[in-house]
Amino acid sequence: MLVLEKLRQYAGASRVALVNREKRLTYRQLEERSGAFAAWLLDHLGEDRSPVVIYGEKETDFLCCMLGALKSGRAYVPIDRSVPRERAAMILEAVQPRVAVDFGGLGAQGSALVLDAVSLEEILSAPARPIPSDCWVQGQDTAYLLFTSGSTGAPKGVVVTAANLEAFCRGVLPWYAGQEGGVVLNQVSYSFDVSGCAVYAGLSCGMTLFCVDKQMTREFRELFQALGDSGLTLWVSTPSFAELCAQSRQFDAALLPGVRQFLFCGEVLTHTLCEELAVRFPGARVVNTYGPTEATVLVTAVEVTEAMRRSERSIPIGAPIAGVQLRLEGEEGGAGELVILGPSVGPGYFGRPDLTARSFFTDPATGLRGYRTGDLCFEREDLYYYQGRADNQLKLDGFRVEVEDVEANLQKLPNVSRAAVVPVWSGGKVQYLAAFLLLKEPDGLSSLKRAIQLKKQAAAYLPDYMIPRKLFAVESFPLNVNGKVDKKALARRLEVEGR
Amino acid sequence: MAMTMEDRIIAILSEQCGAEDGEIGGDTELFEEGLLDSFGVIQLLVSLEEAFGIALEISDLSRSEISTPMKIAALLREAQR
Repeated sequence: MLVLEKLRQYAGASRVALVNREKRLTYRQLEERSGAFAAWLLDHLGEDRSPVVIYGEKETDFLCCMLGALKSGRAYVPIDRSVPRERAAMILEAVQPRVAVDFGGLGAQGSALVLDAVSLEEILSAPARPIPSDCWVQGQDTAYLLFTSGSTGAPKGVVVTAANLEAFCRGVLPWYAGQEGGVVLNQVSYSFDVSGCAVYAGLSCGMTLFCVDKQMTREFRELFQALGDSGLTLWVSTPSFAELCAQSRQFDAALLPGVRQFLFCGEVLTHTLCEELAVRFPGARVVNTYGPTEATVLVTAVEVTEAMRRSERSIPIGAPIAGVQLRLEGEEGGAGELVILGPSVGPGYFGRPDLTARSFFTDPATGLRGYRTGDLCFEREDLYYYQGRADNQLKLDGFRVEVEDVEANLQKLPNVSRAAVVPVWSGGKVQYLAAFLLLKEPDGLSSLKRAIQLKKQAAAYLPDYMIPRKLFAVESFPLNVNGKVDKKALARRLEVEGR
Repeated sequence: MAMTMEDRIIAILSEQCGAEDGEIGGDTELFEEGLLDSFGVIQLLVSLEEAFGIALEISDLSRSEISTPMKIAALLREAQR
């Protein structure tokens, strides 16, 4: 794997691989600590190649564990701490790991050996032993499993192989020209594949990963102090995170003089943000990209020009990166479902051949792996434009959310018999979710007290970003002609009640 | 009777969170109760600027400084000076 080869290559110099608050990790330390973890896995698990679960956030050793698993020939499963224990347990139940790394909050899990920070430190600081590259994950071996929102209320695992990651790196690295030795923002959670822009592409060109954790994004004063000292040259995030930062007038080239490029992925990029960045960072270019987890991080890219910022059309998602082929199927009124073909398309969903068969295929004509995205797009002058979803999947601040997943989990709450969730749109994106609930029995609470109580209960089953901001108790649901809950009528009710 | 600054802040917050009269008090812990998150803070700062003509920079604030309506009022009073 390119990233592991590069890691070995850069380990000789005293180059910094990662900055996490006051901690620094050099490429040499990353090489040694990931090697020590790989050696321990090889010694303790032998032929057993079950994936390694890693539960945490942006801890310095999270990266050592990820790369260590890959060096030992094992996949890793990153789970962000924002995922509650209950939901994390469902993932462990599906994966059946022999080893799980717990940076705090996971606790005992079935028969898995759970390593806490203390026992992990003992393993990672053991004397280094070179791990031959034929032990590493390669070709069709799984490199990571990412669990995303599934429509049944249980998370769904996307399988990504070593070959997929190699294809991603080949395709994306031309967009990293001039970034060698620079500093890349590492804010996106490791359980969200946009983080691969820092981990796989960034480390492959010798960059320093600058970590921003949730505590910093909660305390803006801390965040801006950190950014000011970061030396960032490449900004990678969802548009939402940049929009949040742009709420402060201090977010400009004076704060971040080194930033030469913004790379956005994960959700719709708006004209407004592009205009703001053009004014505040006149020397930086803005690159928009697009890609589903199933086809490894991103598959299209484009530099946003002044003409695009001024155009009536939405900001394009771009043209296919090297190695990727795109086509539109079932075109109607100019737009069709985007289908991705190429070596970055993964094998499918973990343990779910039924779901895999529905969206993945191997193209008989070319032998290429294909994935039907469910995203409606159109093409103009060799650029693709995103138009919306063919199903109920939403992007909320860059997170992928299935409405049915939220509903199924709200129905687990003690006093909720049925839940209907609707997105609230504004400015071309989903601002938040609202839930309408049928209660089992009257609770005698005021609407605010009820909402507070239900949100606290929901936190046991859903990560923060999936918990609806507004919750309303209703006597009954409006039904449409098919006898289903009429979501459009609920959305209209919200417009009235929201004022 | 004229509304105090604190009352006006509570009114703004109540509208934003869909709370009824008397549900949010001067010492309600806004973050702990799940009434405010990062995006909520931004919405609040915009409303405060509209109501009082005082622009608070989000990058100058910590959560503990704006965790209750009383603290927000104290901060605004200081900014007014």
